[in-house]
Amino acid sequence: MKMIIPPPLDTPPAEKSFVQDFVLLLTNQLRVTLNTLKHQRKRTFIGMGILMIVFLSFLISMGAVSYGMLKSMQPETVQGFLSLFFLVGLASQIFFGLTAAFAALYMSEDLELLFMAPVPLRVVFAVKTVSVLMSNFLVAVLFAFLPGVFCGLLFEAKASYYLLVFLSGCGLWLTGTALAELLNLLVMRIVPPHRSKEAVGLMGALAGVLIALVFQIPGMMLGSQGKLDIGAMLAGKEQLLGVMNFFPSGWASLALTSGISDSFAAGLGWNLLILIFSAFLFLIALILLERGFRQGFISISQGDGGRRRKKRSVSSVDTTNRQQEKIFFETVGQDQETVVLPASRRAGMWAVAKKDLLSLKRDTREWFGYLIPLIIMAFFVVQFLFNASASSVSSLVMVLIMYTIMFSGNLALQAFGREGESDWLLNSVPLAGWPVVWGKLTAAVLPTLLLMEALLVGTSLAVGVSTSLTLILALAAIFLSLGSSAIGLYYSIKNCRYNPDKPQMRISPSASLMMYLINFCFILILGLSLCYLFPPAELVSALRMLPPATFEWNVQSGLLGGLYFLSRPLFWPVLFRISLGILLTGGLWSLIFFGFMAATVRQSRKGFRVELVTTSSKNRLR
Amino acid sequence: MERVLIRTNRLSKRYGSVPVVNDLNLEVRRGEIFGFLGPNGAGKTTTIKMLTGLLDPSEGEISICDYDIRRQPTQAKALMAYVPDQPKLYNKLSAREFLNLISALYRVPKGIAKERAEQLLGMFGLMERADELLEGYSHGMRQKVVLAGALIHQPKVILLDEPTVGLDPASARLLKDILQEMARQGAAVFVSTHILEIAERMCHRVGILKDGSLIAQGSPEELRQKVGHGGESLEDIFLELTGVRENAELIKSLEEE
Repeated sequence: MKMIIPPPLDTPPAEKSFVQDFVLLLTNQLRVTLNTLKHQRKRTFIGMGILMIVFLSFLISMGAVSYGMLKSMQPETVQGFLSLFFLVGLASQIFFGLTAAFAALYMSEDLELLFMAPVPLRVVFAVKTVSVLMSNFLVAVLFAFLPGVFCGLLFEAKASYYLLVFLSGCGLWLTGTALAELLNLLVMRIVPPHRSKEAVGLMGALAGVLIALVFQIPGMMLGSQGKLDIGAMLAGKEQLLGVMNFFPSGWASLALTSGISDSFAAGLGWNLLILIFSAFLFLIALILLERGFRQGFISISQGDGGRRRKKRSVSSVDTTNRQQEKIFFETVGQDQETVVLPASRRAGMWAVAKKDLLSLKRDTREWFGYLIPLIIMAFFVVQFLFNASASSVSSLVMVLIMYTIMFSGNLALQAFGREGESDWLLNSVPLAGWPVVWGKLTAAVLPTLLLMEALLVGTSLAVGVSTSLTLILALAAIFLSLGSSAIGLYYSIKNCRYNPDKPQMRISPSASLMMYLINFCFILILGLSLCYLFPPAELVSALRMLPPATFEWNVQSGLLGGLYFLSRPLFWPVLFRISLGILLTGGLWSLIFFGFMAATVRQSRKGFRVELVTTSSKNRLR
Repeated sequence: MERVLIRTNRLSKRYGSVPVVNDLNLEVRRGEIFGFLGPNGAGKTTTIKMLTGLLDPSEGEISICDYDIRRQPTQAKALMAYVPDQPKLYNKLSAREFLNLISALYRVPKGIAKERAEQLLGMFGLMERADELLEGYSHGMRQKVVLAGALIHQPKVILLDEPTVGLDPASARLLKDILQEMARQGAAVFVSTHILEIAERMCHRVGILKDGSLIAQGSPEELRQKVGHGGESLEDIFLELTGVRENAELIKSLEEE
């Protein structure tokens, strides 16, 4: 093909206005969003639909509760209540807007491209601000627009009142987003660019916990059986609530109460104040943002501009490198003259384990995996402390054991997917088989076991479980962790995957489900064999009352006969029963552990492949 | 030929108290291909980022086509193109949509932009997959899209950071031809590369950066005279000037043994 290169320009083309550039970038942003939606899988839309239904039902229940509260309140308390509600909304907008602003202004892949283009930086920031605003839309609807609408319906306000609702809602929406952007400046300064993904992960995890807590509210209200009366709580605290009138949430509530009492002009005045205030905040945020990027106060996340560099002595580094190089080549020369040393399997195993442990230590996103069991455990412990009884001790211990198994398996599931695009490394070193698998097992079990042992023993001691039982539990946790980790490793090596956009998703969902199912079976058969070691008194007395089973050729009879047959050793002499218990427990555990380990080793010798998951196969536009 | 299109004056960049680029004085004239060489961590990418306005210098001045990059960034950027070492693109746009966006950003009239986008897509062999999302492109294909985007608005100055990484031999050759044609038409081409063969064959002048300082600049012939060994390759000159000659000699002696 003939090369056609147009001659370079001599003068820059005429500049465009702010609005023209803004519309261009906004159109592009919309096209990107549209393309993203076009290429989503059907199941994503189904998931979104389910989420929307859950959200709507939550909204309706919360709406009914809020409406009921407003109804029961004195008119003078309504303003304070609205102030509080708007304040909560502003806080939520700041939190969620902060995450969105961080992602849009610090992590966007297009920042470098846009900063290079002949478009003023303020246009780029303005477009990014629109995306932050959109991410706050739902929170604004919930906490800024709907309360006003409810008030209007309750007090049968005129149509003009809803204009005030719209303006105050917009004012609060803009204020929350502007505050989020201002705070984001601080976060961008604190978080270095190479840690940005982890920071967003942390904010996402916190948001998840917050959402989970918010969804507890209807349950708490139902549980309180009408004892939770916010109206009564607010009554008599007018002076305290009066302080809120100095803040935007107070101004919005004043605007709405003015509107209800037919003072439209006063309401408009308050709304104007919020809008001017939010515009002022936006102006400061945009100026500081532009200045921050220009002066290097904030750096673009790509590249290592923000990474802290250390001073180094060039000459000493060079000398050391040269010396090391000389030693390296001399050693290589010697080795070639003699023989190639065989790879140490133990050193190889430890190298694999160390690599994974270092990754766990350095990538803070890995810590979130451990945060979840901690939060859930804390929930159960707190629940126990509020409702302590003899039966709840045993159920708490049961829960702890279940979590030990489930989280050991779950964290081992991540083991091979962690290799990501570097799977070639473990496949190419002469250590495939036992060294790699034992290394992976060590790295998967060590942190989990330490955490679970600490939790199990700590909780057992805190709730007053006997020392002997605590010791048994601690010992059992070791075997349970090893067993379920072996199962997890097997499913990990067979089904590991890597998605560059979501690096924490390292396993296919079906394999994860299968692993949980197998782990349940593992617990079941271990539980059965443990019954011979520690026969539960209730079970033994119930079994004594059973009549002898008579066998017939049908499923029901077969099942009953099987259960009868399994229960017989419980009535054997203690020595025989315990011997059988030890044999069965040890045998079954060994079978599961070594069986899955051997299968994993076999796969490791064949080679494993981390499946790269992208949506590129469905990306044709036409 | 003499008009200077890229000029830096006492350009410095520091991260905290750590200097990354020191007192850099560069001049690249119209019609010139300038090779920017240096070992890893010498400060090449930082310099390019300052030249493109992505990073503000700690001290010094930069002018692109006589426009100060800090005071008149829009005018300077409109006449400049940058090809980064890592092609960061909108994954959810197709190549054609991406080129349309770049044309609009650089204010290329619609009709001309469409015609030129088709020409460039054809030239880089991207026509068949022009409507696929960029997320499905290989590194080399993405690099070609960036190159097409860099050429679409007729830049007077083009800065390239390791442009041949990921390109197949045919595309690398095409790139060299394009850059030479651009220089012939009067553009200034600034290439940062590790491939000294490219620099030797293609560049009119080269600058060697070490620890943030420009330790030598001139045509390959001028550098040979400076080092005092006639007939040596640019690779030898580079190793000599950057002080890693000892390593090269060590490797050579080991090979001989």
